[in-house]
Amino acid sequence: MRNLIDFILKHHAWLFFIVYVVVSCALLFQGNPYQRSVYFGSSNRVVAKVYEVSDAVTGYFGLRKVNETLLSRNGELEAENMMLRRQLQRYSYAAVADSLALTDPLLRNYDFVVARVINNSVSHVDNYITLDKGSADGITPEMAVVASNGIVGIVNVVNEHNAVAISVLNTKLHVSCKVKGTDCFGSLTWDGRNPQYAILEEMPRHVDFQPGDTIVTSGFSAVFPDGIMVGTIHDYAKQKDDNFYAMRVKLSTDFGQLGAVRVVSNRNQEMQQKLEQEARQ
Amino acid sequence: MNITTVREIGLALLLVLLQAILFNQIHLFGVAIPLVFIYVILRLPVALSTAWVLTISFFLGLVVDIFSNTPGMNALACTLLAFVRRPVFTLYLPHGNDYASEMPSLKEFGMWLYVRYALTMTFLYCLFLYVIESLTFFDPLFLILRILGSTLLTFVFILCIDSFGQRREKRL
Repeated sequence: MRNLIDFILKHHAWLFFIVYVVVSCALLFQGNPYQRSVYFGSSNRVVAKVYEVSDAVTGYFGLRKVNETLLSRNGELEAENMMLRRQLQRYSYAAVADSLALTDPLLRNYDFVVARVINNSVSHVDNYITLDKGSADGITPEMAVVASNGIVGIVNVVNEHNAVAISVLNTKLHVSCKVKGTDCFGSLTWDGRNPQYAILEEMPRHVDFQPGDTIVTSGFSAVFPDGIMVGTIHDYAKQKDDNFYAMRVKLSTDFGQLGAVRVVSNRNQEMQQKLEQEARQ
Repeated sequence: MNITTVREIGLALLLVLLQAILFNQIHLFGVAIPLVFIYVILRLPVALSTAWVLTISFFLGLVVDIFSNTPGMNALACTLLAFVRRPVFTLYLPHGNDYASEMPSLKEFGMWLYVRYALTMTFLYCLFLYVIESLTFFDPLFLILRILGSTLLTFVFILCIDSFGQRREKRL
């Protein structure tokens, strides 16, 4: 016993070292980013508070640009609204004649909450985004996060007033996407390098596309609704096994300047997943 | 708890906050991030026992991890850095000179010795951090670029902070 105590006293620096390394490695290799602790990240209450205070100051810096984007977006929507109203009027006459359903029942299945981004990074290989709304506002894990001009990520950890989302700029996130206008889909992931570009892999070679074509979400994963803007094709190359193309997609979302985002929930997500699981068994 | 300890704790808190709010947002040429908070580890007194250096470094890394959503990464790199601090001192500090009671700084070490010490420690930290990061994601050329870029940027920031502190002490 005394020998043991002597040994510990003599080598206590080593013991400290080993304990700290083991604890860090345990944190580092806890694996799945979907099952992260609420405390060891920016969903921690104190940390979220610090970021909220800092955002209260820095949130004003980009407002001029945000305002411009919103104004132009507003203009677009107004024009679209006018056009739709005109169409609606035209259809409403026709509807009397053949009782046409006016709205697409599919689109009614999605709800959204508007949240502010209070912390965000593009410098890591696996980036996360902290939002200022949480379960109290109806946010749950696996909801889609969408900015005004493209996809942003998927919510993974939620506390009462904050949520952390896995950014599209995270090598562990894969999103099912397609070339707009076709039904052939591939898997979008980030290569950890330039925050303006992501890679769309496994695109079948027979698909007809050109650089500049629009990439949208496919809606297959039940997280993102169908047809949300992702970006445009920058260039493409054959993949190793020759049957697929991999293309570099210029993301339409500016991840360096995220302000307000929409968190979208699919009311049918649970049902769809349950059904898909049953089908697999 | 004397006045120096309190001041050092204040400095550590300030650097962690600055790292979380300001320095983590800097991302020069897509490769270099200033990891300025390791200045706290560089500044610990030469004579402080290894166990204390390890403890302070580990918790410093852990807090930075919590802020930047990288659980374990900075904590592990800081622990390793604390562990190699003693060997780095043995390598650089001339024998016979009594540096034991001092806190490493430009003023105490002199220009040449401090530059070598700070550059070595910064390089080692960036090396540890990015190698740990590539355990989950490997890209050799990018890894080297990131290590060198971040080392240089961090080193410049640390020299700035240190000479700033020195000037203020003189005036007081």
